[in-house]
Amino acid sequence: MAKPVVKKEYTLSERIYLWEILKGMKLTWGHFWFNFKACWRPGPHTIPTCWQYPEDRTREISPVFRGEHMLQKDDKGRETCIACGMCAKICPAKCITIKKGKRKEGEEDKYAAKTYPAAFEVDLLRCIFCGFCEDACPKNAIVLGQNFELARYTKEECILDKRKLLMNYRKAKEEGKLKPPRKRVPVVPAPPKPEKDEKADEGAEAKKGKPAVAGKAKKKPAEKAESNEKEE
Amino acid sequence: MDDWLIAIIKVVCIWVWVLLIAVVMTWVERRGAALIQDRPGPNRAGPWGLFQPLADGIKLFTKEEIIPTKAQKLLYIMGPLLFSVPAFSAYAVVPFGDKIILGGKEIILQVSDVNIGFLFILAIGSMAVYGVILGGWGSNNKYSILGGLRSTAQMVSYEVPLGLALLAIVFVYGTFSLRDISLAQQGTFLGFLPNWGIFKQPLGFILFIVAAYAEANRVPFDLPEAESEIVSGYHTEYGSMRLGLYLFGEYVNLVTISGVIVALYFGSWHMPYIDLGAYLGPISWGIVSFCIFFLKVSFFLWMFVWVRWTLPRFRYDQVMGLGWRGLIPLGLFNIFITALFIQLTV
Amino acid sequence: MNQNPTSQTSYEPGNYVTINIGPSHPSMHGTLRIAAVTDGETIVKADPEIGYLHRGVEKLGENLTYHQFIPITDRLNYCSAIPNNVSYEMAVEKLMGIEVPEKAQLIRVIMMELARIADHQVCIGILGVDLGAFTPFFYLIIQREEIYEIFEWFNGARLTNTFGRIGGVDADLPDDFEQRWEELKPGVRKANDETEKLLTHNRIWMDRTIGISAFSAEDALNWGFTGPCLRACGVKRDLRIDEPCCMYDKFKFEVPVGKNGDVFDRYIVRMIEMEESLKIIDQAYKLYKEMPPDAPLMARVPKVIKPPAGEVYSALESPNGELGFFVKSDGSANPYRIRIRPPCYMMFQALPELAEGEMVADLIACISSLNIIAGELDR
Repeated sequence: MAKPVVKKEYTLSERIYLWEILKGMKLTWGHFWFNFKACWRPGPHTIPTCWQYPEDRTREISPVFRGEHMLQKDDKGRETCIACGMCAKICPAKCITIKKGKRKEGEEDKYAAKTYPAAFEVDLLRCIFCGFCEDACPKNAIVLGQNFELARYTKEECILDKRKLLMNYRKAKEEGKLKPPRKRVPVVPAPPKPEKDEKADEGAEAKKGKPAVAGKAKKKPAEKAESNEKEE
Repeated sequence: MDDWLIAIIKVVCIWVWVLLIAVVMTWVERRGAALIQDRPGPNRAGPWGLFQPLADGIKLFTKEEIIPTKAQKLLYIMGPLLFSVPAFSAYAVVPFGDKIILGGKEIILQVSDVNIGFLFILAIGSMAVYGVILGGWGSNNKYSILGGLRSTAQMVSYEVPLGLALLAIVFVYGTFSLRDISLAQQGTFLGFLPNWGIFKQPLGFILFIVAAYAEANRVPFDLPEAESEIVSGYHTEYGSMRLGLYLFGEYVNLVTISGVIVALYFGSWHMPYIDLGAYLGPISWGIVSFCIFFLKVSFFLWMFVWVRWTLPRFRYDQVMGLGWRGLIPLGLFNIFITALFIQLTV
Repeated sequence: MNQNPTSQTSYEPGNYVTINIGPSHPSMHGTLRIAAVTDGETIVKADPEIGYLHRGVEKLGENLTYHQFIPITDRLNYCSAIPNNVSYEMAVEKLMGIEVPEKAQLIRVIMMELARIADHQVCIGILGVDLGAFTPFFYLIIQREEIYEIFEWFNGARLTNTFGRIGGVDADLPDDFEQRWEELKPGVRKANDETEKLLTHNRIWMDRTIGISAFSAEDALNWGFTGPCLRACGVKRDLRIDEPCCMYDKFKFEVPVGKNGDVFDRYIVRMIEMEESLKIIDQAYKLYKEMPPDAPLMARVPKVIKPPAGEVYSALESPNGELGFFVKSDGSANPYRIRIRPPCYMMFQALPELAEGEMVADLIACISSLNIIAGELDR
């Protein structure tokens, strides 16, 4: 294989090295001078492009950020999770374990639905923070919050049990960092007329599966439910 | 006061001073690089991270000394020493100020004003290549030996243009002594230009500074330690204070080179157009001349940092090409022109 | 020892030195290994070895459902996750015959072009770092952070986006997208401009890149080059134009073509492509704004994604080149087989030819300019 021979054609200013080097040095000097002046600004966030992280936490984190998980409660302070297991099924990393519990008499102020998770574990070491669980959740119960500081000392600490998940929710609520309810916008296009029976099918399937919210969110639970039935 | 006592005091003082500058330089390098690159740089240890070199020093001193099993022990140990000792001793002939009169005794601010001046620097500078090549060979590592080879070829090649540039300076000033050259740079010529080497030898200055960058293994000539190609070249296998000596010796070299540049081309301790020595007392002039000299030196030290973070790196054969095909003919041309000019004007 | 170094046919082990470049070497992108047989500094033979980052992604896909594989595709080319996601989603959509709504396609285009800019920025920045110019890397990477900011505000992740779902996208553009975009544009242009100023006409840079690992168009095609590296060789092949998907045919943009296929041309092609991507995003966003705000973002997708039995290959122009997904379905909820065609796999194969006769320093430049991403290469 013969390599193509490349002919260099340099202009004079390129040929003599120094001119372009001086131009480059002018540019770097501009940056140096700008940042040098910025260094004298008060506060930890001096150079505009750098956050002095542990001290300077002013950087805004997106409200839809996918960080540490939490289990949400409703307005009356009741747990919204119904332990349907959608999140556990959709999870690509299989990091969620749920044990279902039945609500007893007198626990109405504690749990919103008839069933509740007796145990809810999220293994942070397995989680890949894809956000599918909050997508799949029909009750908007599991949510990925804004906390991104996930380093722990032991393996046990990395497994979030229900207490920690609820604590995360409380903390986020106190800090006012609750996740806005996920916009279920992605609207299914208005079905053309011939597809009507399919819609009926869909309704039937939805009934078969878990009650679901509108939009694509309802698809996944149903999908998972059905695939689950298949497996059985 | 005995002469030898003065000499010892001067040696100690200037040694400590140069070491101090080299230490601060490691900080300036990192901070300057950071600011050029839109980031703050080391700012945890002490105010503005000024104690960072100290922390590094402590780290290097307390680290375990590892000699690779297959290394050639003697050469491996000798490498850093041979690199740093010439670096520390080369400053002996570079002035750091005019003179100071203490107790009626005139003390020149230079460790020793030898009349072979920069021949000594050239000779000592060439010694440094032993440190590099021995380190590269003794480590018994392929990357190290590549770094050592590159450095040898580069240092040997660039000594020629360096020498040619200096030769032209000798033509102009008629002496090898750095102090005499410094003294000769006072006043102006042609009525308006300061009597500095750069105005008499502009081409020589460019040659000298390029060759000096290559001698100091600085970007764009940092091939011996090009970390993206050969990991870190000749000091790949070094750790603890042996590595520290290499890194440190490099910065001391920078101080020496900057000192030589200032002494030869930038009027040493002279301000342009104004002779401060005539207005100040002997002691204060001594201090002021020292300050002026090191202000100029610090500018060139900053240049090293500035250029480093602006330019990409040459390739090995391109460095050789630039040296042999570019700089040496230019150096010869420069000598020719200088000689012609002197012949015609004298 | 009086060997003629240029006669590369006479390979005598005694006269050459084998240098292991990698798997952990400062300039190996990810974990690659190249066993380079060198004569002094000249490379006689470069033997690439891959597999150090093999995670069995394709096999993993067989045990996951179609949706669950999307986050795994993030981890292929981790410098630009979004084109990976979209390419996979498009393959499944093609298999199922789903028509993605136009608005969703526009969002995909916008996000993919942003990812393309980010990818090229990393590639050029790293090329600079490998050739000793550190500073442009930082100027570019700061702008990449701004792009990641947009990603974060879009669906909450910066690097592993898990962008889109089969049949559409998972979120609408954030409300402040326009403001962020208008802020980003001059920033990206400025960073590119500064990089050009520092590198393009600098003779040191030109010497280091022009003519290095040059490749003829014919060879490049034979080796299966795609993307900027192929275009640098002078072949005007861009899947965005040749096989338009995602409404790419509605945008006007130039496809930069190089001449020599050397490192410099690859660099220039990438620089121009960034500028063109900015133009595409402008046009796409204009179209996006014309759409009604409640326009659908998801197609009608069956509850369970169970494509009919069959197989499909679908590719799109990822920043690196043609990124293809071959998906075979047996009608169940899990794919029967997934095969990924990463662009840099084909290019890394040609490394022995590209690097032969060059110097060690050029080998590094060559790898950088091919933009080898180990996650994509080894899968």
